[in-house]
Amino acid sequence: MILVAASFGMLLSGCMEWDYGEYEDFNITSPGLFITNEGNFQYGNATLSFYNPATKEIENEVFYRANAMKLGDVAQSMVIRDGIGWVVVNNSHVVFAIDINTFKEVGRITNFTSPRYIHFISDEKAYVTQIWDNRIFIVNPKKYQITGYIECPNMTMESGSTEQMVQYGKYVYVNCWSYQNRILKIDTETDQVVDELEVGIQPTSLVMDCNNKLWTVTDGGYEGSPYGHEAPSLYRIDAETFTIEKRFKFEFGDWPSEVQLNGTKDKIYWLNDDVWEMDVTADRAPVEPFLPYNGTLYYGLTICPRTGDVYVADAIDYVQQGMIYRYSKDKELIDEFYVGIIPGAFCWK
Amino acid sequence: MKRLILGLLLLAPSVLLAQINKRIFRIPEVTILGKRPMKEIGVQKTQMDSITLKENIALSMADVLTFNSSIFVKNYGRATLSTVAFRGTSPSHTQVTWNGMRINNPMLGMTDFSMIPSYFIDDASLLHGTSSVNETGGGLGGSVKLSTQPANAEGFGLQYVQGIGSFRTFDEFLRLTYGDDHWQSSTRLVYSSSPNEFSYRNHDKKENIYDEDMNIVGQYYPEEKNRSGSFKDMHVLQEVYYNTRRGDRFGLNAWYINSNRELPMLTTDYGEESAFENRQREEIFRGILSWDHMRENWKVAAKGGYIHTQMKYDYKRDAGTGTMVPMTRSRSKINTFYGQAEGEYYIGREWLFTANVAAHQHFVESRDKNIIRQDGNQAVVGYKKGRTELSGAASAKWQPNDRMGLSVVLREELYGESWTPVIPAFFVDGILSKKGNIMAKASVSRNFRFPTLNDLYFLPGGNPDLKRESGWTYDVGLSFAVGKEDVYSLSGSVNWFDSHVQDWILWLPTTKGFFSPRNVKDVHAYGTEWKGDLSLALAKDWNLTLNGTLSWTPSINEGEPMSPADQSVGKQLPYVPEWSSSVTGRLSWKRWSFLYKWCYYSERFTMSSNDISLTGKLPSYYMSNITLERGVSLKWAELSLKGAVNNLFNEEYLSVLSRPMPRINFEFFIGITPKF
Repeated sequence: MILVAASFGMLLSGCMEWDYGEYEDFNITSPGLFITNEGNFQYGNATLSFYNPATKEIENEVFYRANAMKLGDVAQSMVIRDGIGWVVVNNSHVVFAIDINTFKEVGRITNFTSPRYIHFISDEKAYVTQIWDNRIFIVNPKKYQITGYIECPNMTMESGSTEQMVQYGKYVYVNCWSYQNRILKIDTETDQVVDELEVGIQPTSLVMDCNNKLWTVTDGGYEGSPYGHEAPSLYRIDAETFTIEKRFKFEFGDWPSEVQLNGTKDKIYWLNDDVWEMDVTADRAPVEPFLPYNGTLYYGLTICPRTGDVYVADAIDYVQQGMIYRYSKDKELIDEFYVGIIPGAFCWK
Repeated sequence: MKRLILGLLLLAPSVLLAQINKRIFRIPEVTILGKRPMKEIGVQKTQMDSITLKENIALSMADVLTFNSSIFVKNYGRATLSTVAFRGTSPSHTQVTWNGMRINNPMLGMTDFSMIPSYFIDDASLLHGTSSVNETGGGLGGSVKLSTQPANAEGFGLQYVQGIGSFRTFDEFLRLTYGDDHWQSSTRLVYSSSPNEFSYRNHDKKENIYDEDMNIVGQYYPEEKNRSGSFKDMHVLQEVYYNTRRGDRFGLNAWYINSNRELPMLTTDYGEESAFENRQREEIFRGILSWDHMRENWKVAAKGGYIHTQMKYDYKRDAGTGTMVPMTRSRSKINTFYGQAEGEYYIGREWLFTANVAAHQHFVESRDKNIIRQDGNQAVVGYKKGRTELSGAASAKWQPNDRMGLSVVLREELYGESWTPVIPAFFVDGILSKKGNIMAKASVSRNFRFPTLNDLYFLPGGNPDLKRESGWTYDVGLSFAVGKEDVYSLSGSVNWFDSHVQDWILWLPTTKGFFSPRNVKDVHAYGTEWKGDLSLALAKDWNLTLNGTLSWTPSINEGEPMSPADQSVGKQLPYVPEWSSSVTGRLSWKRWSFLYKWCYYSERFTMSSNDISLTGKLPSYYMSNITLERGVSLKWAELSLKGAVNNLFNEEYLSVLSRPMPRINFEFFIGITPKF
């Protein structure tokens, strides 16, 4: 009986231990690199990391540590404007505004459908693209409010997909990715789509070089897709005339992604197993990679606008801390550091 | 000499518990018998007793497994998807049969145990590791065997139970039975519903307090309701049995499920509940016709069955017009035809030969997404496939004397056009000491699991080049049983298992933005499982039973590193607790019964590298539930009054990251069984 009573006593003792509510004060004023770690879809374990290239110090989970709350589910992208970092958290339907030195939240915009990227038109107007929505949301960042929508033509809610944005004059260009093949041109004065350009199947990213040329790379769809499956291509598009100037075709079955620019915007980089580099004026794609495949699928890519260092993200098995490799523009490995789960996007401070 | 089958002896508490409704407690004498059930030679099995299964009408098999077995139940929320990790394996490594028919979803491979009301199950057992090869292939972790049985009714019978619980939860159960010498009929109906809006403190996010200039001047963790978590589940089970009393029995089992569940929002979701609808509706019909032909030393049986599953998933949002517009509209239909034949033949008392062959023919149509093609026409992303799955086994079991038994099983399976090599399984058991009834068991088997239809064909990402998973499992164990009739019985077992799984299939993201399965890991799962059962007559009319389990299940990734930076090799798989334990204690006095249920799961890692991060932490937790029941006998009916308290200590806990779980909550049940 004593044993039984003792056993019950043990059963009743103990409980789940949580350590909520602990803040950490940061004040990192130095330049650096934010890494948005997507985390696992539906698990709410997205994180934000900050790397100081000068000291090679990495701080992980800075949003959580500074705010004592989670960043959310699938951190998709981040941009900085006037000392405020805007972190788009896709499946949490939120865009957080944070102080880029303290990482503390200064505000948030909520109730998006499935936000992907944010682009500022002015202090009081920004666009937020969505997947599974045929609208681009217009927001007032000062008031943290959704103020309107841009209807995208020939898209239903279910097949809706708008992604990255670049601006040329009063026009914003946006690539439409999931089951799409277009670049849209939006007049920022009227908030209307005024033109569109067909490219290949599923353009994944969009940048604009020093010559005002847009670059996008398609992934070509996938085998069995009712939308089609083709060899991917890299496109150079003249922003002024909104026409395709050049198409660099990949092998069927290649998976290029992540078109990025260096600081002077005269070189583009992309992933296709290896890391590739090319002058924006080149007529032919390079035959040798900038960094050869090293046994893993890279997931993210960025180039330091100041030094030209190349940072590539290895998500490894997608359920552990990913690794960032930092190479000089001379291809020397300078540093490597672990960040969060699925490091997918970067933002330079 | 009084004889008691040793195998049954381990179930002594269940024998006792099964009688609780009649308030007759008897602890049987513990003696050794010469003949143990030959079918269970060397088998590691956990039997769920009927009182556990019928504890209350609100329980699902997920709840029963949580508190009565060593299996880890990964629970995505109240009345939400619940999958299992048996011996550190993944949900699709546990095969589930209902009256012999495999009910794992052929698209997903797994079974949602929250969709199986335990009141619909009369007999449930877990076959650990190798032991599952006796029943089916593919159970790299093991199998869960669920069955219904004739009600043994005499004339008409009726039972009605109503449950009312926290969060406006209502459960209704009705059973109608009829029986005579030849016929047995049973109709069961369960209906459960709740808005499921339990409150919890959300520590994953904060509410901001702004001043007029939209500066944050304060923050707090909000007390939130579980959002988008309502459910309405209906189950109807019709059974008819005809027994010729000359060795033939015919059976019909038909089970219809209509489930309408919202999928709860994550704790990290800042969307407005009213702006989204996230709902899954399922209709499932499972039907089986069976024939058993029994003779003194042989038996043949045949079964035919059919499963129809229709799953509808809708993710909608209000596009600002007040109308919900679909963002994802997914539809899938599965039709499965099933047939099985089996035979048993005894030669004397020493040999048993068995053979069985089962066929499942699946037809699957998955319509996952509607798109507009480049030519402007509409199209659907999905697949339409069929697959034939054959599984045949033959076994020979030999019990040359009272002390020893040997069994060999050879199984072979065909999935589509791919045959497995012969799957061998060997079992041995023996009595080491009649004093204390100490018995040793050992077994070894190979096993394979084929990719699911989604693994192969799902768009986008399905990988038709996947290899089947394969593994070897070794089991060795000891058990004992002691006792004194009407005083106490004590039994226990401990076993060690060691299992290697190669080519473990995982869905991983691709650079194209979707997931795709790959054969990536080799996993070494091993550990020990302990069980103990105690029945004690404390005093006149006072009885106590205790049942406990304890498992230690390291499940280690031993594959090749996926990249030079891979830190997962040599680490525990995510979401698999190393330790788990459960204890159930029941104290009875006359018509009163008090039940205490307790379970424990150790910390679960959320990363394959086993890093403990601030955002990916799932601490260990204890969970305690209690029930107090009183039986009342009236002239016209037997009444049962029951009150239950779940999460007794009001724990804030998580089974899965970002999925809120309810704190303390209450249920009250009243059961009426009229006396006709």
